[in-house]
Amino acid sequence: MLIFHLGPLATSLFSLLAILALVLSFVMLGSHWLKNHVYAFAAESWVIAAISASIGYYGHYPELYIIAALSALFRGSLLPYLVLRLVKRLHINREFTPLLKPSSSMLLGAALVIFSYEVARQLGVSLHLTDNIAVLALTCMFSLKLIGFLMMILRSEAISHILGLLVIENGIFLGSQIIVPGMPALLELVIIFDLVTIVMAFGMLVRFLQSHAGTTSSRGLQKLVG
Amino acid sequence: MKDIFLQVAQVLTVLLLSPLLHGFIVKMEEKVQRGQGPSIFQPYWDLWKLFHKTQLVPETATWVFFWAPVVAFVAMMIVPMLIPVLTNFPLPLSDMGDILGGGLILTLGSFFILLAGLDTGQPFGGLGSSRAVMLGILAEPTLILVFVGITFLDHSMLPFVANHLLAQSPVAYWSPAHIFLVLAFIILLTVETDRLPIHSTIPYEIYMIDEARILEYSGPLLALLKWASWMKQFILYTIFLNVFLFPWGLSVSGDFGSVLLALLVILAKYGAVGLFMVMVDTVQSRLRFYRYQEPLALSFLFAVLAIVADQL
Repeated sequence: MLIFHLGPLATSLFSLLAILALVLSFVMLGSHWLKNHVYAFAAESWVIAAISASIGYYGHYPELYIIAALSALFRGSLLPYLVLRLVKRLHINREFTPLLKPSSSMLLGAALVIFSYEVARQLGVSLHLTDNIAVLALTCMFSLKLIGFLMMILRSEAISHILGLLVIENGIFLGSQIIVPGMPALLELVIIFDLVTIVMAFGMLVRFLQSHAGTTSSRGLQKLVG
Repeated sequence: MKDIFLQVAQVLTVLLLSPLLHGFIVKMEEKVQRGQGPSIFQPYWDLWKLFHKTQLVPETATWVFFWAPVVAFVAMMIVPMLIPVLTNFPLPLSDMGDILGGGLILTLGSFFILLAGLDTGQPFGGLGSSRAVMLGILAEPTLILVFVGITFLDHSMLPFVANHLLAQSPVAYWSPAHIFLVLAFIILLTVETDRLPIHSTIPYEIYMIDEARILEYSGPLLALLKWASWMKQFILYTIFLNVFLFPWGLSVSGDFGSVLLALLVILAKYGAVGLFMVMVDTVQSRLRFYRYQEPLALSFLFAVLAIVADQL
């Protein structure tokens, strides 16, 4: 729960940043181009870093500045760089494999936002969350997670799967930053190294996939099963 | 007495400044393309020329053909009475209709132009009308959702209340709900004022939507239709700026001086939005027909997000 009280302007700022992160995930859902997906992910990470920093400022948690710098460095710069390098080496520019058109998937995403708002509201009632910002953070967290899942379900390109995973993780991180701001810095370090490992491992897997199966779409993998 | 004068002045502002806005946008578009461009007063001369031409009427036309331009023109003169153009306080006739009523009258004008397109039985008119209806199906729900969203925000159906709330409370102005409504409305604005992601700027029959409906018109009736479409653009800019984006700079007292100042502010801020539209027209390419729903789905999404954010 939010341990400190927020002024109205800070509340507006936090909700603005949280919702900005949500909108950036819709950019990923609505665009065909993998580069746009990566840029949107990078921007989303920077927004989340800004959330960390401003919570550190308003709530007087000095260690959150370090976390903000770390997320800007790793999530906002290193991971997008790695994924972009992967995109360039694989020579895939567009997502050719979505099950739904961008407009339909955006509408589906809007439905998921409404669903997660409903869940967050129920949670807020049962947990006696008096601050609206906590409900908003929960909404954004659930929406980002569901949108990440949606990206992974609707698209079968391996890079989209990596990005889906990263979006889910971003969502969890955003929620935790606002709801439990005093999370130990060590935990954040562990998560960041996890992410770097995930992206590296996925990169190797994807290149292996391309050299052996001749495709980077996970739909081609069904043939290998039985 | 002063209020009645102001009410008339609101309508006159829309009537007289709307060709100027159109001329400014056309001129700036040419400038961006390193051309000379027509004078920004060209639309007035066009109107003058068209009003002095003979009226030609197709043999197949019925009464709809005559009445559509008149209805469209009059509808565009009614809407400025309902919305804050010069003053930020309601004038005597402002409570004739709320924000949804204004939307209804705006749509009534385009509905009659649509009928006129079908009326003569000319193929391009039918094509333009059917495309316009498809766009309407996609855009109207979003427009209504945007109005519902602003209603949730200020707990009132009157545009003046929204103007006051947003001008006075920075918390409401910077709330996510309001920002999403602005974003949704920007996309609607490009669609409804014939800007690029959907409407083409080239007068070429294949791409035409709104122009195709009025290809059969000439002379004074064409002048009325053109003027009505410029007024629609001006009215939508008014709603966008004075209700959503920039609620400041309107006359508070209703004095002559403050109204004059409000006029100057109008010139500046409408010009700024015009420049934004020029930028959109320059950097955007036209979407193909089967991707029309993408910007509108985005706009719908923003409106839904705004309503969700309103609940918090």
